[in-house]
Amino acid sequence: MLRGPESRLRLVSVLFALVFLIILGRLVWLQVIVRAEWKEEVDVLLDRPYGLPAPPPGVIVDRNGDLLVGNAPVYAVGADVSLITTITDTLQAAADLSPLLGRDVTSVQADLAVEDRTWVRLAWAIGGEAAYKLEDLKAEEWYWLTLEPTWERYYAEGALASHTLGFSNDEGYGYGIEAFHYRLLKPQPAVAQGEVDAASEPYPEEMAQGKLRAVQGTDLTLTIDRTIQAFVEGELDRAMADYGAYGGTILVVNPKTGAILASVSRPAYDPARRSEYADEQRNLFVDPAISVPYEPGSVFKVITAAAAVDSGGVGRDWSYYDSGAVEYGGAVIRNFDRQAYGPQDLQGLLSSSLNVGAATLSTQVMGADVFYRYVRAFGFGQLTGIELAAEVPGFVHLPTDWDWTDSTLATNSFGQGIAVTPLQMVTAVSALANHGTMMAPYIVAERRYSDGTVVPTTPRPLGQPVSRATADYIAELMANTVSDRYDKARVPGYPMAGKSGTAQIPVSGGYDPVEVVTSFIGFGPVPDPEVVILVKLDRPQIEPHLRWGTQTAAPLFQSVASRLFVLLGVPPTVAVVEP
Amino acid sequence: MSVVWQQSTHGVPRRKEQLNQVTARAFVIGIVLATALVGGYLALGAANVRLSNEVWALHNGVARIQRESSRLETEIARLSSIPVLQVRSVALGFTPAESVEYLELETP
Repeated sequence: MLRGPESRLRLVSVLFALVFLIILGRLVWLQVIVRAEWKEEVDVLLDRPYGLPAPPPGVIVDRNGDLLVGNAPVYAVGADVSLITTITDTLQAAADLSPLLGRDVTSVQADLAVEDRTWVRLAWAIGGEAAYKLEDLKAEEWYWLTLEPTWERYYAEGALASHTLGFSNDEGYGYGIEAFHYRLLKPQPAVAQGEVDAASEPYPEEMAQGKLRAVQGTDLTLTIDRTIQAFVEGELDRAMADYGAYGGTILVVNPKTGAILASVSRPAYDPARRSEYADEQRNLFVDPAISVPYEPGSVFKVITAAAAVDSGGVGRDWSYYDSGAVEYGGAVIRNFDRQAYGPQDLQGLLSSSLNVGAATLSTQVMGADVFYRYVRAFGFGQLTGIELAAEVPGFVHLPTDWDWTDSTLATNSFGQGIAVTPLQMVTAVSALANHGTMMAPYIVAERRYSDGTVVPTTPRPLGQPVSRATADYIAELMANTVSDRYDKARVPGYPMAGKSGTAQIPVSGGYDPVEVVTSFIGFGPVPDPEVVILVKLDRPQIEPHLRWGTQTAAPLFQSVASRLFVLLGVPPTVAVVEP
Repeated sequence: MSVVWQQSTHGVPRRKEQLNQVTARAFVIGIVLATALVGGYLALGAANVRLSNEVWALHNGVARIQRESSRLETEIARLSSIPVLQVRSVALGFTPAESVEYLELETP
């Protein structure tokens, strides 16, 4: 019998202690003895991946900050078909979803009626108004719809600069900047594994660990100016229509920095609609400016001339006798018109574009060792390192190669038997425009990281293939060539330097007897050029006697250069003489 | 310190009882403290859950705003793209410049 408060106090204390011991014992039982068993069961139920909607990939803008490639928010749409209970629902849902997904009713209906799976993918990227309607449908009626927020690349200017911008797949394979800088542009998604509730929302302890760190992709600012790019694309399209050319390339580069202001190639494609191209059209994705080498023809003579002058084999008083043909290594080299030009100096060689003179320089003045040393110094046969996917080094046959012959030395001097990319060619001539210093071409002006850090690209020299004196001398000869011979390449108010080329196209067993590649490369205003422009037209289909660089590429060069100086704000350096 | 008192039942005094006040106070304080600790723990846990939910909602809100921002950026880019600007310019009566002439201004 309990009597008095003390006794009852003792009893209550004992009861409390007992309850405490029971709880403690239970805790020990759960937390120590059967812990592993329960943990396993709980982990299966609670330990699941969780995450936030993926942050956007990096955007690409032009040098003025205008968007070139952005991100459109879209949904990847799926359906938990195990939750669709009636056939009526399936039919009605298929009818509702079909126009929003851009698919026919039958195929949607078939997807929703599958029995061997609980979930099906209905569409990969649905955006715009359709996305809003899908949200409404999910909220109001079709709760079994799954809308996974994701992104789709948005090409703001359509097909503008398509080769340069390119695209990539989920593994990073593809073309252009998109593929080259795939890892930079790609965001780091905020996903983790841990304990989550029924709504896949992480428990507080899980949140406290701060595992979710979404990182946006790095934004890239290009050296390209969209206005210049659009203008140059328009000019190339017009020229291709005028001359019936199958393709073409125009590159505009700042020789002082190596910055590419415009890179245009035709035929082009629309990267937003890339999946619609047939397999045989996929070669449209390849950028001819960096991935398709061609034989440059006579524009290469400026490289040969620069090498000859810089090596000391040719001075300002050098001359030779042009007999119209020269035999070397079993091959007979003739001038383009099969004419003999008599005594000629270096200016005459370039102005009249004499193959015999160029072959004389490579075979008699320099020899193979010296000539190819300069060819390599100008970067031919090597990658330029441009930040674009799938650049190729071209083909330069060296005396150590099994297929090199003596005649190769002669033909290489005027740009045949050697294959270069347009970017290599414009980079090499940029060295002549930039007083001998060859700048590395680049197209990404700066990288803007997600933490706000901005890293600008510092122009860097690739080398000094020739001395300043040599470069300036060749530039002077090229300027004289334009003023003396290429009236179609002259730009009123701006002294220009340049050289044309008309190259035969190699085919199996020799060269195509009819088709040619015409080109013109020039810079201005000399003596302190702001731009180097390469113009190349593939297989122009005009009268055969007009299929020359001087007749097709030179006028295109003129039209591009004349407007380009205005767009760049470069004032005339000489008075414009009215005709 | 103890308190002694005698209780009576129906006029019959019972035996004297002694209560140790210190023990009693300690017991009460212990109960109060334990209750406060448990209550505090629960309140803290609840606050933690609430804050965690808020953080999660904010994360999702940021993602939602980011998507809306991107959508607006692409819309702005579409409206200011060169093809759209060209159409608008032509509609407003502008035409491409055929020739550009520089004015020579005398500098002071």
